[in-house]
Amino acid sequence: MESTFAFLNPEPVFQGSPHGGADDGYLRGLRVALQPSISVRDWPAEAGSVALSGFTALEDATVVQRLRQAGAYLRGYTRMSEFGFGLGGGEAGAALAEGADIELVLDLMGESRAAAARWKVSAFKPSYSLVSRLGIVGLIPSMECCGLVAPDLGTIRKTLQTVAGPDDLDFSLLDEETPDLSARTIDPAATTVGLIREAADGLSTERQEAFHTSARYLESRGFTLKELSLPDFALFSLVHRIIGSVEASSATGRYDSVRYGPRAPGARNWNEMYLRSRDAAFGTFLKSFLLQGAFFQFNRYEAFEAACRIRAQLVTEMANLCLRAEYLLLPTPQDTPPGPTVGAPADRPASLSATYAQFDSTLFANVTGQPALYLPPTADGTRPGFQLSGAALSDGALLSLGEHLLSDANGEEW
Amino acid sequence: MDYEAVVGLEIHVELNCATKMFCDCPNRPGDEPNINVCPTCLWLPGALPRLSEQALEKAALLCLALGAELQPLCAFDQKVYYYPDLPKGYQLSQAHLPLSRGGAIDITGEDGAPRRLRIHHIHMEEDVAKLVHEMEGRTPIGLVDFNRAGTPLVEIVTEPDFRTPHEAMEFLKALRTQIRYGGASECSMENGTMRADANISIRPRGTTQMNTKVEVKNMNSVRHVGDAIAYEIERQTASVESGEPVVLHTRLWDPDKKVTSPMRAKFEGPCVPDPSVPVIRLSGEWIAEMRARLPEMPTVRAERLATDYGLAPDEALTVSADPQVADFFEALAAQEIEPRTALHWLTTQLLPAVKDTRQELSVCRVTPARLGALLKMMAAGKINANAAREVLTRMFHTDDTPEAIVAAQGFTQVSDPDALGAMVQQVLDEQPAAVADYRGGQVKALGFLVGRVMQASGGKANPKVIRELLTDRLSAAE
Repeated sequence: MESTFAFLNPEPVFQGSPHGGADDGYLRGLRVALQPSISVRDWPAEAGSVALSGFTALEDATVVQRLRQAGAYLRGYTRMSEFGFGLGGGEAGAALAEGADIELVLDLMGESRAAAARWKVSAFKPSYSLVSRLGIVGLIPSMECCGLVAPDLGTIRKTLQTVAGPDDLDFSLLDEETPDLSARTIDPAATTVGLIREAADGLSTERQEAFHTSARYLESRGFTLKELSLPDFALFSLVHRIIGSVEASSATGRYDSVRYGPRAPGARNWNEMYLRSRDAAFGTFLKSFLLQGAFFQFNRYEAFEAACRIRAQLVTEMANLCLRAEYLLLPTPQDTPPGPTVGAPADRPASLSATYAQFDSTLFANVTGQPALYLPPTADGTRPGFQLSGAALSDGALLSLGEHLLSDANGEEW
Repeated sequence: MDYEAVVGLEIHVELNCATKMFCDCPNRPGDEPNINVCPTCLWLPGALPRLSEQALEKAALLCLALGAELQPLCAFDQKVYYYPDLPKGYQLSQAHLPLSRGGAIDITGEDGAPRRLRIHHIHMEEDVAKLVHEMEGRTPIGLVDFNRAGTPLVEIVTEPDFRTPHEAMEFLKALRTQIRYGGASECSMENGTMRADANISIRPRGTTQMNTKVEVKNMNSVRHVGDAIAYEIERQTASVESGEPVVLHTRLWDPDKKVTSPMRAKFEGPCVPDPSVPVIRLSGEWIAEMRARLPEMPTVRAERLATDYGLAPDEALTVSADPQVADFFEALAAQEIEPRTALHWLTTQLLPAVKDTRQELSVCRVTPARLGALLKMMAAGKINANAAREVLTRMFHTDDTPEAIVAAQGFTQVSDPDALGAMVQQVLDEQPAAVADYRGGQVKALGFLVGRVMQASGGKANPKVIRELLTDRLSAAE
């Protein structure tokens, strides 16, 4: 059986932190699986793309430095979709079945949460500007974030506490101090959870039912449910498609096969070399996304500008909803069951439209930058899988809500 | 038909920052190739840009020095194009929200009337890598030097206010002076720290339409800019008069042949906001702090120099044009050197000598204190002007005091009438014709006789004393 790991740490056991001697022990012994889009010095950080084949990371990503500092053990690189876009070509989450305690999955449109839904574990996408992107081989700089996938929220919280916070090398991070990420008590009687009516539009009957069941479940746990409206909810997908593809088209402009990546033969000049090598380097699916981005950039710039305006409006509208309810309840990502064997090629959606349909309930958080949490269903079906969100930088409280919900009334985990 | 030109300039200025614009690599593009590079300026996967605080400060000083208005909000965009000098496929520049808007430079037109030439906006951008074309055996190869990639630039875009080559040249000279004052750049077109491109179109004089323009590049001196514009006006006029319309394209100036010729256009795409460099908000306090850092600007200084030291307006402008020269002048004047003497020695003796010895005024051995000491000796009659020039030449090669040089070389002026009397008498005896001329009313002959005595003294005689002795004796014998 093929492992989900494409590269295993050559050091079989934890060797201590290479950065400044002793680790602080906060994550000692925690086995972390990484996608090869997260730079680990001397590891093949190929980000799932032929365009980066042969590229070896020169430095640790900030996230990796902090994991090492806390004493975590980097287990290895998993297989991943090309630049982490969608879930095809890899088995995000599968490493948890191969001895990893947590897996870091780049979340561009909801990949970490969809992977968790597939493996029935939890996933957390932190607020944008909370976790450093230095050393992350990205695709959509204004939307992507390192997602955390693990069976339990305690591990996710400790890992988030470790990797979050200001980084002098990433200017897109907050200048202020890291918001409080510690656990807090949740009082259901004093807590309102908002439900965005339009988030259920267009869902399959099954997902709609699950969505309503999750609302009833929250009520049964004593929370006040409040119905909210965001008529433009469907625009999240459109805005993501336009801005995301334009950013991706720019971000991949640097993959020219000059310094790394294979050069296609037969070119008579540098321009031909670029064209042929880039044509050969990117997969068909990613290429359709990049071409779409180039189209908006070069031929429909006004559509891109409109998308930027709508995005700003959506950010404001979501922030306003978060003033009316402390948390938001959102549907589970479209369920794609895991394949029969680990490492088998995943069923990749055939088109961009199908991919966007798969992430219709998750990509709002990538557009606005707010945090999002996926909680898995219980085996008996009393609690279906669902997503929770909150205002930007409410990460600590959102995880506490998740921990409250995963434990029963007596404080035991379900 | 009578045509007039409509010209706008785009000027790139390299900021004299310690580091590149988005990383900590040294801003030294001239070093051994590909030494000053890192993952950020090579744009390796996972690298992030970090805007240099110093680049922002220098760019802001430059804007303020040109009277431009810093914008409370500015942001970087990606100028998308594919070329080997740009490994990430886009250049970080400011297309939508520039650092400053407005600003102007006042010059004197050819007719002597004042002209105000406006600046449209100024934006920051990173420079790209340098391409070097060589031959490897018989195969042409292209080499890329990334030392220049990411070095900090600003681009100054003017309004199409220029009508003549003269205006463009005067504008560039004044612009250079003001930027140097701000301390943001050396602005040398010869060394490539300032590069100007011109957008040129023509129209029938008296009309206001804007016609198709031609962009001209590759002028590396102020004079070339004037020559290229003049050439292009003539070329376009001839073209239009022969019925050929002007087409939008870019041309290169050939300084040897003094012509422009079309160049292949670089493919250039759109400008999209960059998601990795955060938007920049400039607070009123920060802008005020930058303004406070700006020194007295050249035109203001010229007025003060004229008032305080009695310089003529054009002399004051010449001195204030270069902050180093103005500083030197004021340092001399502060030692109670008579201002006109200071000006004369600075402009006719020191500056040409500095240029000849290829030195910089600010770092050369002749400091204001040393030149001041020399001029004081001259004012006190200890040496004459000839000797002072000799001493000055030597001062470039030694750190000895002017007094020591004078003593060692025996330049001390001879002013003793007794010592000079014999020499004067000998010359009078030897030159009866000149003596007769003088007595016959030809006053010029006195100068000749003074020269002869100077020669006899080996250049050390005090000319004033000789003149007195000669006049005395010539009139006494009558």
